[in-house]
Amino acid sequence: MAVFADTDELHQIMADLWTAIKSDDQMAAPLLSSRLIVTFHYREPDGRLTVDCSDGKEMVITAGECDRKPVVEMFMKSSVAHEFWLGKVNVPMALIQGKIVAKGPVNKALALLPAIKPAYGLYPSIIEKNGLKVSTT
Amino acid sequence: MNPFVFHTPTRVYFGETSAASCGDFIHDLGGSRVLLVSDAYLEKSGMLNPIIESITTATGNPPLLFTDVPSDSDIAVVNRASAMARANKCDALVAVGGGSVIDTAKVVNICLTFGGELMEYQGLNIIDRPLLPLIAVPTTAGTGAEVSFVAMVKDHEEGKKLMFGSPYLAPNMAVLDPLLIVSLPAKLTAATGIDAVTHGIECFVASGTNSVFTDALCLEALRLLFEFLPQATADGNNLEARGATLAASCMAGVAFTNSGVGITHALAHALGAKYGTHHGMTNGVLLTHGMNFNLQATAGQYARIARFLYFSSSGDDLEQAQILVDKVEGLLKELKLPRTLRELGIPELTADNLKELVDMAGSDPAIMFNPKEASEDDLLQILKGAY
Repeated sequence: MAVFADTDELHQIMADLWTAIKSDDQMAAPLLSSRLIVTFHYREPDGRLTVDCSDGKEMVITAGECDRKPVVEMFMKSSVAHEFWLGKVNVPMALIQGKIVAKGPVNKALALLPAIKPAYGLYPSIIEKNGLKVSTT
Repeated sequence: MNPFVFHTPTRVYFGETSAASCGDFIHDLGGSRVLLVSDAYLEKSGMLNPIIESITTATGNPPLLFTDVPSDSDIAVVNRASAMARANKCDALVAVGGGSVIDTAKVVNICLTFGGELMEYQGLNIIDRPLLPLIAVPTTAGTGAEVSFVAMVKDHEEGKKLMFGSPYLAPNMAVLDPLLIVSLPAKLTAATGIDAVTHGIECFVASGTNSVFTDALCLEALRLLFEFLPQATADGNNLEARGATLAASCMAGVAFTNSGVGITHALAHALGAKYGTHHGMTNGVLLTHGMNFNLQATAGQYARIARFLYFSSSGDDLEQAQILVDKVEGLLKELKLPRTLRELGIPELTADNLKELVDMAGSDPAIMFNPKEASEDDLLQILKGAY
């Protein structure tokens, strides 16, 4: 069973989460330094979110179609993304099991994992704030 | 027990003169026009001849030879080999050589199977369907490339290392022929062998990804390596020792491709990328430093290895773990491998160099599998300590 009701719900939560990350200097700084453009492709429900740090100054977050060519693309079920932001995904295991597909210079994206860890704490409150019926357990 | 997935798509065929059956094997896999990927030394030495004859007899066509693979392969090499293979309508590959040759063949196989832009396949799990048949015949005992799901080649022009990872990259068959490694010089025997030891130790303690399957492979591989690697290094003609190290390397390869490695590999990858150091020798220099870093977190697992290898009967895990580190030190000494980064020929490490190496190691996928999180300062201290 899908965690998110539909694409709109998925996009809203992910965009809100990344907006919160963007507002947090400690998390945003290493992402901007990387100058990466990362696109997350979700399925069940389908969705897409692009985080563009290419100018090194401002993070541009786009839910849905985006004409910027990503450097790294990550593909996963929406439920895996949900569990990731709850801090419940063993990323190495998910990569080994093929639950996460990573396209491009993967090491650049994996290097940013420690930087975004504090967002695990923000995710439940973002779900709650949006009043969305998403399980956090 | 943690959930786990264990997958090994490669059929392993072991035996003296088994390489001379490559033709039958590739024919059985449906190959008729074979690209034989190797290096110039192996071609000149005549070691490829029985394999060429076998392929010619079994398929009715002599293989197309590509023997320009250097020890540090490159995307330009891949492109040349792919163009040759495409022009000759090759439908199968046989790779005979060390890790660089086998990795090159894996990436050529992507080009040959899918065509198009190779960069579209860079990453992890992008390749989602079978490639053309590939047989790997290792001529070193260490990398595990003959069974691994990963291939790395450099883009020297862009200064990048490209990684391709998917279970479909694993060769269909690994042919382990001890006769093919008898001429490997002692220094390379030791250096490639210590790479396999590092796979066994790092995989056994990999964070959350190891399993009872990989544990069993690591333990037996380490038993064989501790017993036979010194013998194979001292006497290259000792076929029992050669065979044991070849099998052990393959076993450790199956293990690490399922469960990952760790901090020693992450640092060795960084040093290799920046200074071109030999991967196995670099692992040898760093291994005990990495083990000491992980010691408190992995004492129980190191102790299991030490007990399995009958290194000590102490009931104290930490004491056993320390004994394992000491035994690895002893093995490195016996193998006469370089013990410091300085001995590897790395110039004095400036603050900028160290920062660059720490950044590279910190973003290496291998570091994710390390059982203990490593800070930038931790990586820095290991590098300084190993210098």
